[in-house]
Amino acid sequence: MRRALLAITGLAASTTALVVFKGSPGTSQVAQNLPTAQPVNPSGPGTDAGAAAGAPGTDPAGGTPTSSGSAKPSTSPKPGKTTARPSGTKTTKAPSAPRTTTKAPQSTTRRVTGNGFDAIDDSQKYGFVQVQIVVSGNRIVDAVALSLPSGGESDIHSGDVRTAYDGSGAEVVQKQSANLNTVSGATATSDAYKNSLRSAIEKAF
Amino acid sequence: MTHSHTHAAGRRTGTSSRHGGRSAVPVPPQIPDRRGPGGRRLLGVLLLVGLLASVLPWWLGTPAGSLRTTAATVTSAGRITGLVAGYLLLVQVLMMSRLPVLERWIGGEHMARWHRDVGATLLVTVLAHMSLILVGYADLRKQSILAEVGTLLGDYEDMVSAFVAAGIMMLVGFSSIRAIRRALPYEMWHLLHLSSYLVLLLGFGHQFTHGAQLYRPGPVRTGWIALYLLVIAALLWGRVIAPLAFNLRYKLRVADVVAESTDTISIYLTGERLGRLAMLGGQHFRWRFLTRGCWWQSHPFSVSAAANGRWLRVTVKVVGTHTADLRDLEPGTRVWAEGPSGTFTAAHRLGERALLIAGGSGITPIRAMLEELPPGAALIYRARTPADVLLSRELDWLAQERDTSVWYVIGSRDDPGPRQLMSPDGLRQLVPDVARRDVYLCGPPGLVEQSVRALRRAGVPRRQIHLATFEL
Repeated sequence: MRRALLAITGLAASTTALVVFKGSPGTSQVAQNLPTAQPVNPSGPGTDAGAAAGAPGTDPAGGTPTSSGSAKPSTSPKPGKTTARPSGTKTTKAPSAPRTTTKAPQSTTRRVTGNGFDAIDDSQKYGFVQVQIVVSGNRIVDAVALSLPSGGESDIHSGDVRTAYDGSGAEVVQKQSANLNTVSGATATSDAYKNSLRSAIEKAF
Repeated sequence: MTHSHTHAAGRRTGTSSRHGGRSAVPVPPQIPDRRGPGGRRLLGVLLLVGLLASVLPWWLGTPAGSLRTTAATVTSAGRITGLVAGYLLLVQVLMMSRLPVLERWIGGEHMARWHRDVGATLLVTVLAHMSLILVGYADLRKQSILAEVGTLLGDYEDMVSAFVAAGIMMLVGFSSIRAIRRALPYEMWHLLHLSSYLVLLLGFGHQFTHGAQLYRPGPVRTGWIALYLLVIAALLWGRVIAPLAFNLRYKLRVADVVAESTDTISIYLTGERLGRLAMLGGQHFRWRFLTRGCWWQSHPFSVSAAANGRWLRVTVKVVGTHTADLRDLEPGTRVWAEGPSGTFTAAHRLGERALLIAGGSGITPIRAMLEELPPGAALIYRARTPADVLLSRELDWLAQERDTSVWYVIGSRDDPGPRQLMSPDGLRQLVPDVARRDVYLCGPPGLVEQSVRALRRAGVPRRQIHLATFEL
């Protein structure tokens, strides 16, 4: 039992040490880290801004948003917008998103875009999330994220979210609701996706 | 000390041990080479390296300075403990796999102690993992811990089974605290402990759907799955394939049951190809006697005679209802045996001289080992009454043949004689070079504890003290 106590103490101490070491890096690491952290953030808000601004502007509702939704907004970057600093501007933009689709296409399928939400948690803001669903009759037949956080690791997580939720065979279509399983490692993005999806569903039905 | 010792314990009122424990053909004494603790140390190092490797993915995947908030820090600590817990669980199962290599290198005695220590560590690690993740996620989502539990159970795949796994693990852990365990019937405790395999199964899913280091396909995920497969393979090999091969090869059967004393019997077993059975005196098998009342219970009994190529023998004190049934075993009954295992053998001695201390029926492995120890060993045999002394005829024979000094110490623990003798001074008087000897101890827990204390004070280093523990 003495050895078990030793082992437990050892594990607790080394876990703390690991976390502390990663949390407060030495000076050299700060210097390395800050520049890399910085570019990641601007690129995130940059595309968010583009997406949020681009959505009302081009109003992709009636158009044909390709499945690569996030690529589309980034093609029309407003120079002024990309330099906009993150937090303040974006929260004001988020409410600007609500619009239902104006013209329902000839067929019974409709495209409905949900409100935009920030993927945000305690440590940082990852980016902006907006979801569009395709409704046929009273079924959701497709879902696509018009905007997801991007840049750095966010690309990976957003990719995971996209694979899990987007598309005609994925979870949104299967579940027909915003009650989705959270994607690991992308909790904030998942939550924002669900919120946007929920608002889209409310508008559509 | 002489005394009559053959009363009928069972329905056979025969003489004790027909051959007197001697094989009919005199076999030259074979003293096995020393094995040393190398294997054990190597395994210890390997397991430590594995532990470090299991945390490595987190280390590489977390950029320095990225843990800026409490939520992120706490979650990170939760991830580390999660990885460690996953790894320790595999170590636990591996140690219980009865893989022949492990039984040979480490032996059931050490393994049982490792298993207990790692088990306690694992339980604490899992609790830490759960609470850290809960606190971290709750903080992240700005909700209460209870609400977070709800979110995890409702929104996350595989989390329900993970919670169940943790519950089972806690149950198993707490039921293994010694005081609680003693209060439980063995069968119940055992059943509870068997359910730990469910932990392996139920805990599997959530590691891969939510483990930040494991959910993405890649070398880490593949490696982790490979570890699982390896451990399951070891389990299959040690628990199924190796015993099957052993029993198909040796086909053990009961040859005879004889009474050794009023409450002790010897079961003689024969089989095929016993000449090639690699077994050391002091090792034990887990025995299943395949009769109607007995087949479902497996009991660890030491062999009470060294390998002689013709028969095996176990000497059993009849205590419970199961062992009482053993008195009525018919010759020819098939026996399923798993083993041999244990490092309580002459091969694991560190020096050339030994002191053996046996209490009651604890004499059986020591009796077998005496045949294989270098000459010059000393034996102290504690028994409550003269009638409790077992196999004394064989011991007298061994004393002559193998130049062994044998002391019978009769009486209750509180009698002045035994008390004086089992003290550091008493031991030194009896065996002046005790501090340089290997000491083998087998007997009731009280005697073992008392002796270890006395031996340590008499200057015997801990690693020279060998204990036989069967219980798990």
